[in-house]
Amino acid sequence: MNSLRDDGRPLPFIRISGVSKTFGGVNALTGVSFDIRAGVVHGLVGANGAGKSTLIRCLAGIHQPDSGTIEIDGEPVVIAEPDDASAHGLSFIHQEMSLIPRWDVLRNMALGLPPTTHGKFIDWRPTQARAGEVAHMLGMTFKLSTCVDDLSVAEKWMVLIGRALMRDARLIAMDEPTASLSATEVERLHAVVRMLVARGTAVLFVSHRLDEVSQLCRDVTVFKDGFVTERVVDRPISKAQLVHAIVGRELVIPEHGHEPKTPGQPILEVRHLSDDTIVKDVSFVVHEGEVVGLGGLVGAGRSEVAKIVFGAARAIAGEVFLDGRPIAFRHPSDAVAAGIGFVPEERRAEGVFLDRTIDFNINIAKLGSMITSRWWPLLKVKEGHRRAQRVADLVTIKAKDVGILVENLSGGNQQKVVIARWLLDRPQLLILDEPSRGVDVGARADLYDVIRKLAETGTAVLVISSDNEELVTVCDRVVVMAEGRVTGTLTGPAITVEHIVHRSFAHEGEEALAP
Amino acid sequence: MSLATPSLAPSPLQAQPSRRVRRIALLIIGKYGTLIALAIMMLYFSLASKNTAFLQPNNLLNIVNQSTLTAIIASGLTIVSVAGELDLSVGYNASLAAVLVTGLIANQGLPLALAILVTIAVGALVGVTNGVLVTKVRINAVVATLGVGTILVGLSFGYTAGTPIISLPKAFTGLTLRSFLGIPLPIWYMVVILAVLWVALNRTQLGQRMQASGANRSAARLAGVRVERAQTAAFVIAGVCAAITGILLASVLGSGTVSSADGYLLDAFAAVFLGSATLRDGDFHIVGTLIGVLIVNVGFNGLGILGTPTFYQFVFKGGILIFAVALSTIARKYAKD
Repeated sequence: MNSLRDDGRPLPFIRISGVSKTFGGVNALTGVSFDIRAGVVHGLVGANGAGKSTLIRCLAGIHQPDSGTIEIDGEPVVIAEPDDASAHGLSFIHQEMSLIPRWDVLRNMALGLPPTTHGKFIDWRPTQARAGEVAHMLGMTFKLSTCVDDLSVAEKWMVLIGRALMRDARLIAMDEPTASLSATEVERLHAVVRMLVARGTAVLFVSHRLDEVSQLCRDVTVFKDGFVTERVVDRPISKAQLVHAIVGRELVIPEHGHEPKTPGQPILEVRHLSDDTIVKDVSFVVHEGEVVGLGGLVGAGRSEVAKIVFGAARAIAGEVFLDGRPIAFRHPSDAVAAGIGFVPEERRAEGVFLDRTIDFNINIAKLGSMITSRWWPLLKVKEGHRRAQRVADLVTIKAKDVGILVENLSGGNQQKVVIARWLLDRPQLLILDEPSRGVDVGARADLYDVIRKLAETGTAVLVISSDNEELVTVCDRVVVMAEGRVTGTLTGPAITVEHIVHRSFAHEGEEALAP
Repeated sequence: MSLATPSLAPSPLQAQPSRRVRRIALLIIGKYGTLIALAIMMLYFSLASKNTAFLQPNNLLNIVNQSTLTAIIASGLTIVSVAGELDLSVGYNASLAAVLVTGLIANQGLPLALAILVTIAVGALVGVTNGVLVTKVRINAVVATLGVGTILVGLSFGYTAGTPIISLPKAFTGLTLRSFLGIPLPIWYMVVILAVLWVALNRTQLGQRMQASGANRSAARLAGVRVERAQTAAFVIAGVCAAITGILLASVLGSGTVSSADGYLLDAFAAVFLGSATLRDGDFHIVGTLIGVLIVNVGFNGLGILGTPTFYQFVFKGGILIFAVALSTIARKYAKD
């Protein structure tokens, strides 16, 4: 660890050189190189999908890089399995907390450690003693016998950091540790991180809170589209510089959004909406014939707002109006009946019926208009076939006919099937959650075309997207959310990637950044 | 048409015709393997039985007649399976129906039609109970329906004190004994019930919603389907089919005996899964279930005619189920690669 290079400077703990990784033809990482130094907090920043998580997964042995090398203490290593990562002293704390529910703190901290045994029996005393030391070091205020279900989010993070320390981790990677912590809890976590690096541990710190990164991290690596666009070693970097590095220099056209047009009647009005998880006091309006974007980072509460409107989740405060009438749907079927369509984020899990035909997938949302008569409630199959074909052509689904199974379509065409479902009757409001995720460039252009055309017929469209260029391309207005709140509304020429990013990284207690 | 789906153009396969042939062969085995097995069995039993006793019209009619009760209860189970759940209470539900309908006639002195209606209503009520427990209380279907089924066993014993109910009117036993146009009445019941269920599943809103619920629960919900209602309706259909099976069994046996229909559970499951491996790629469907029932009964009947010891017949029943489903699973897996 303290070995020296020829020039007398210490070797970095981990050196990542030219690491590339592709998934199904998409470059997730391209020639990524940087060093992780012992005893330093190293920040990883970038937009969603920029490559931070893929890189961490390569270090954790979950993915294998296609090319490039990872060196630890100057020795090239292959991390084929999560076990190998542990053996090298690398420890990972993911956002989806890997605690075992209903187990106590001690057993969660000791998870995966070889226990001290006498014959067939486990002796918990040495483990308990070690856990006690770790708990003391971290300043844990709860007992080791506490069930982890009874802990706060911040306390759970302490348990996970404790688990890493139990194995004498040399690197602890934390994925957005402060995303759901209160201000005082954040302070507490920062103190622990500083204590860890003072002991010589390296900390890899992924965060979307850029002021936190500029305060806490001595080294910062910025990712964009799988490339490293900025490498900061041992010098301060301002939040503004970080934003610039995240957005990148080459902005893709168009430079700003559509010219504002005279809005029609308000179709969807959300007033002071809050739920019991993240959404706080959200208000916005979508007018007839208008495409409104909901921008921000993953986890900002945008999907939650959409699901409340659609009756798939509950609000605890606030009001929603559809076409001037207050609504509070208890089930999505009520929203469908009221003329709302929803294209969910997880296409395969929540959007399509993969092993069914295109016409089944399309007609399922509007079966009522397919029956012969009220007294003879049989479905007109040929009529269903015909009308499915009509809307499939409308969204240019590339398939021989609508009798094809949806699993045989590309991601883009599957997405078109989900959209086509809501075009059988023109919806009053169509909500699309991440419409172009996993959709290739060509089909993306088709999707934007369909969205714009639908708005021209008078439908109010709400587009949730983490792809800011998409919002600029398709929206008349963009409402940006961060940490459950609306942090800005952009109209016409003000809709730029830079402005959306600025407001996406705003958070509570902080003045919205001047563009 | 130049815009054919890319995935339908098997470009790497064109270079390897032998692989393509193998792929098609496996696809055929996957879809028609169970039918081929049925044909081979019938051929074998015809040749092996003395004076082709197996192939005599009376014996074939007999096989179909023996299949009717299993086919009715298995069709109800098919509906639940299509909706993405399972029901382990159908056998016990049928047993309860058998003692209930006979008891209502013999002990309570209810008119025949009323007794049958009440019994079917009780079967439906069992279905509602299953549906509420599984979809609203969200108990795992295995646990909920097994629990409900066990309670039904208890109720059967409570109602009869364990004694078979006999001395039933001729009209009741005639329900299954008589024929219409030379074909036994049970076959007519089966044809009507299966036809109604086929139409319900494929030509009504409810049927489409049940299919959607089973195919992808979350997607169904977000497409505006009330999954809980669709699944509860499926449990009710299974309950009604079970009750009808129980009533017909009591009529065939001429008595209402506790636990008389319990064994139908396994036969029904075997048929449903055999059927899912027939003609379709693992989907549950009514026609497949009927073919599944016929396969099981052809095997049983044929082995009986050949004089095979009874224990072989059970080995056969379990074996053919595993074999047929494994065959289609493997064939489909290779066909997709």
